[in-house]
Amino acid sequence: MAAVTTEEFEPRRKSNVGFLAIVRTLFKHRLSLVGIVIIVFMFSLAIFAPVLAPYDPLEQDLDNVLKGPSIKHWLGTDDLGRDLLSRVIYGAQVSMTVGVACTVFSLIVGTFLGLLAGFKGGKTDQIIMRLVDMVMIFPGFIFILILAAALGPGMINIIIAISLFGWAGAARIIRGNVLSTREEPYVDAARAAGASQWRIMFKHVLPNSAAPMIVAAALGIGGAVGMEAGAAFLGIGVQPPTPSWGRELRIGYTYLATVPLFSIAPGMLITLAILAFTFLADGLRDALDPRIRGEGKKM
Amino acid sequence: MKQYIIRRIIYSLLILAGAIVITFIMVRLLPGDPIRAAMQQNVDLNDASIVEEVRARYGLDRPVHVQFFMWLIDFFKGDWGTSLSSGEKVTAMFWRRVPVTLELFVGATIWAWVLGIPLGIYSALNRNSWLDALFTSVSVFGISIPVFWEAIILIYFFAVFLQVLPPSGYVAFFENPIENLKLVLMPTFVMGTQSAGGLARYVRSSFLEVLGKDYIRTARAKGLREKAVIFRHAAKPAMIPVVTIIGLSWGGLIGGSFIVELMFAIPGVGRMGLDAVFARDFPIVQATMVVVSLNVLIMNFIVDITYGYLDPRVRLIK
Repeated sequence: MAAVTTEEFEPRRKSNVGFLAIVRTLFKHRLSLVGIVIIVFMFSLAIFAPVLAPYDPLEQDLDNVLKGPSIKHWLGTDDLGRDLLSRVIYGAQVSMTVGVACTVFSLIVGTFLGLLAGFKGGKTDQIIMRLVDMVMIFPGFIFILILAAALGPGMINIIIAISLFGWAGAARIIRGNVLSTREEPYVDAARAAGASQWRIMFKHVLPNSAAPMIVAAALGIGGAVGMEAGAAFLGIGVQPPTPSWGRELRIGYTYLATVPLFSIAPGMLITLAILAFTFLADGLRDALDPRIRGEGKKM
Repeated sequence: MKQYIIRRIIYSLLILAGAIVITFIMVRLLPGDPIRAAMQQNVDLNDASIVEEVRARYGLDRPVHVQFFMWLIDFFKGDWGTSLSSGEKVTAMFWRRVPVTLELFVGATIWAWVLGIPLGIYSALNRNSWLDALFTSVSVFGISIPVFWEAIILIYFFAVFLQVLPPSGYVAFFENPIENLKLVLMPTFVMGTQSAGGLARYVRSSFLEVLGKDYIRTARAKGLREKAVIFRHAAKPAMIPVVTIIGLSWGGLIGGSFIVELMFAIPGVGRMGLDAVFARDFPIVQATMVVVSLNVLIMNFIVDITYGYLDPRVRLIK
């Protein structure tokens, strides 16, 4: 019988009107609309790279190295005569994969630990949050750099390194929200109704503390893309010949004076990707805040 | 207040201890044998006894926990060990580089203030104007742009295209002040961009909040000129949280300095740490990491104390 009662309340709790209102605000927010367009573009590059790229990104043509833009090669060729446009298109695969994977891992671990810390309080809270403080005392980039160097080359390792830093920020955000959510009357009501601790945590507290995580996720993807590019720029993480924006940028930097596009093009895409996610996060922050949503704020 | 400070100190020491342990573990995880890497040039590595002898000299043959405490005691006695690759004392290498990095930090902070604060104030005072929209976009751009790409763009434009600034390098200020300033202009700008963007956003929202307060309306109602309202009544309370956020950007600056020093060929602390990561120079990586975390910790501590001092409510919680 219990299942029936939940179903009865389902429509109201899901609140479709609210969801639509959020989407509508998001689209009204000009910058976040720009962000969404860029993000869709980036993911299309990554998914449809084999179709979009005019050449095989690994195919070398040693007779045509470091050529500027031409009709055959729109962005020119790199130091091994590979088509830059194709390499830049394929580079989206690494960046988008790393960005999404790191954010998913950081959020899963961070949400679980933050929820546990905020809900249980006491010693559990102390231990988890002190661990968070210890990780966050390091500047993120340096922490990730050394950890990734320690773990060795490869995309999996750079994802692990970024996630091992990223969870801390996620945990801190979710804990802060849980602290206020757990005092809500419906949590007391659930407890009085005899719900188990885990049920209260995951069914009642978590869904009502999750909104800021959506903003954090958008920012997290952008941040992870930047971190990966920075590490790749230093030769850590994804290894050649796999096309990656950070690595292209590093090699291109050597030829800045002669073939500027070699470094400027991949860098432009890294910047655009980070920018797009920041714009989206800004829009989401406003859209998820009912006070601002009502105002119909444009910027 | 006293109790609050004591509590913060104990807490900070605890975090520092944890950070040191994390550093130690990460550095030990770095692949490759540092002794072999460092000795490559001069010794026959097939002679295991020589390798082991050198290993013993650096104390790297003892159990890890013994190494840890040996290192910890030495570190706080002021002996940060010897570089495995150059054989120089880490402290000597470090202190020689500190002024260089410090100059970059000061320069970056000046850029951040000069750009971030006026932009933020202007945006707040002219909310929803087209310039506000432009400045808001520019500050998001400033926060998002990766330092290495910004550096490349600037080098290309000013050093390759216009040829008005040298692309990279470093000369000490007291050797040649003009050349020094020319050389640090771009790196400090690159380092300061992110802080400037963050500061502009923060100043804007802080000002907007204060401008909505009752006492601002009162000030206007009693006929004060707008200038007086803004600079005498609004600026002070609006800038208090801003001053503390400046301390929190310290960590980001340190992170940025690693790449900036590499790209502009500046012999600073970040460059030393970065080179050491690739050379598996344990003592340097360790010392750099601890110094970096200590720096961030002290900055956070100052911010916390300032907050506690300004806002009595903070002292009571936790």
